[in-house]
Amino acid sequence: MSSYQNNAALRNFSALVDFGNLINSSLDLEFTLNNILLTCFGKFHTTKGIIALINEENVFVIKASKGVSKNVLNDFPLITTINYDINDRFSEYLTKNNFQVYQEIKASEGLKGLILLGKKITNQDYDKEDINFLKTIVNVGATAIENSLIVDKLKKINRELDSKVNQLSSLFDLSKEFSGLLKTEQIAKLLVYSLIGQLLISKYSIIISERNQLNILESSFEKENILKILNNIEIENINSVISIKTCEENLIKELLSIGIELIVPMQIKNKTKGLIVLGKRRNNTDYTNSDIEFISSLGSLAIISIENARLFNETIEKQKLEKDLETARNIQKNLLPQKIPITNNFEIAAYNKSAKMVGGDYYDIIKLSEDKILFAIADVSGKGVPASLLMANIQAFLKTICKMNLPLAEATNLLNDLVAENTSNGSFITFFWGILDDKTKTLTYVNAGHNPPLLVRNNEIIKLKKGGMILGVVQTIVPYLSETLQLNNDDLIILFTDGITEAMNKNWEEFGDERLDKLTLENSTLSANQFLELLKVKIDEFTSGAEQSDDITTLIIKVKK
Amino acid sequence: MADFNVNLREKDSVSVIDVKGFLDAHTAPELENVFNKLIDTNQFKVVVNFNELNYISSAGLGVFMAYIETMRENNGDIKFSNMKENVYNIFDLLGFPLLYEFFKNEDDAINKFLESGKF
Repeated sequence: MSSYQNNAALRNFSALVDFGNLINSSLDLEFTLNNILLTCFGKFHTTKGIIALINEENVFVIKASKGVSKNVLNDFPLITTINYDINDRFSEYLTKNNFQVYQEIKASEGLKGLILLGKKITNQDYDKEDINFLKTIVNVGATAIENSLIVDKLKKINRELDSKVNQLSSLFDLSKEFSGLLKTEQIAKLLVYSLIGQLLISKYSIIISERNQLNILESSFEKENILKILNNIEIENINSVISIKTCEENLIKELLSIGIELIVPMQIKNKTKGLIVLGKRRNNTDYTNSDIEFISSLGSLAIISIENARLFNETIEKQKLEKDLETARNIQKNLLPQKIPITNNFEIAAYNKSAKMVGGDYYDIIKLSEDKILFAIADVSGKGVPASLLMANIQAFLKTICKMNLPLAEATNLLNDLVAENTSNGSFITFFWGILDDKTKTLTYVNAGHNPPLLVRNNEIIKLKKGGMILGVVQTIVPYLSETLQLNNDDLIILFTDGITEAMNKNWEEFGDERLDKLTLENSTLSANQFLELLKVKIDEFTSGAEQSDDITTLIIKVKK
Repeated sequence: MADFNVNLREKDSVSVIDVKGFLDAHTAPELENVFNKLIDTNQFKVVVNFNELNYISSAGLGVFMAYIETMRENNGDIKFSNMKENVYNIFDLLGFPLLYEFFKNEDDAINKFLESGKF
């Protein structure tokens, strides 16, 4: 009897050694669990068994089974490490499915799982020795299970690390690529490809906000749906990631209705300039924090590149515009008289300087006939391109009307009608023109709302005011009036635009009418050119250091002795 | 700049795309053009032969994601073959094997199309 027992013990022992060697030779969990079950089957002559291991939430999950139908596996109750042994459903499950014994699998870190075994083919019960042997198997197995689990965990961590390294190297590559692109469309496309390639995304939208308007650069969602949702949200107010896992319920419903799972803002200096909108991942996994970080970083790279592209294009546009303005300025320069006609009795000097590249001031001197010289000065309301266009218009009208040989007042009526017809946005023109007669030394003029020119005679100033209202406001109702003056030798006539009298110094003081009057009176004996030079110097002195704010134009006429 | 080359040929009425060199953000548009051409001519059964591809970036992977839906909606597919281990590792790391079929060699991939065509 004792020799039989010894033999049995020896057999058991050698089986255990074999078993221990076998399962510790592998780090594969499935292999380990399989062998534990098979060893038990061989030893106890049973035909079914289950091994369930605990997961991170301490719930038992079946990891291996043999001889158990699918239904029975699916029927496995939801039990946790706490009080599972007094759980009714568990004991019910054991009885119902003929699991006669179960044993805890314990390793150094505590409970790892359970092994359930069916009844023996021989219908004998498990005796004390069987249970002890099962305990030993499970003990040996537990270490192997633990090792396998640790290896699995390490593998998982390694993969996560690899994935992180991969994301980082993607980011690095893309930062180089993005910086080389200057077209928004290209940047958006690259962003999309990188996102869907890296994260297996099927639905996406890339949206940027430009001048308070949403611009969908790329989208596989219906654009209308995206806009409908975003219209309810101020894009600038999205300062953090919106995920259907964390946002409020109403929004979740709305987002899920078109398949959005994640919205990541693209920010520059903490200001949201765009959004990356994403649907679910094709491999049906959730976006991890690490994924969201990646998307966020990629978004930042992209939006900065988009911004750079925008600035670059703007600069190009600006340079183009500046070139256009330069051209306009040249054209405008050519509109002003290139040569001042020479007469017997009058000396004429003229000067024009635009505040901006193109301006709204205008003057002209045209020889009408052998004896008659027409001169004009005008100031178009506003500045820059619109003013200069109107100025070019009035010059064309003026040239046409000149050829009609009308009396000056009548010609002014016509000119006003033309200007009024051709301006729509409330623009107007202050205008003064006159005809000098070289034979009779007379001046006939009409003043249409322009700063009255100064006629200096015998140390006195006569202001030339006769005329009517400014040009272009309404069609001529009250006809313009003209005045004819007999000029004397040495008379000096100063025509100017408000750029002179309103020239400002650094203290926001204007040059003013009085200063001009005084300068004129004190220097009335100078020639036209001399007076012009003096006036320029005085204005420069006065405004020194301040920026010229308005166009400056002046015409000086001196009656020769 | 890294070299990339893409070539399109037909074998047993399956379109085979040979990719060569470096497929990254820079070269992805070339591959995109080939896919656009295939869609324009209603060719949806595609095998991509990676035999001579040395590197793929996420933007390169993105191209395959961008076209897979269209191909499958039209009874086609994009299958991969002859991938070097380092290239496969990237696909594997990002979970592509769940969504795409990988084959050791081109003919296996083509045969898969032909077999499924019988049913």
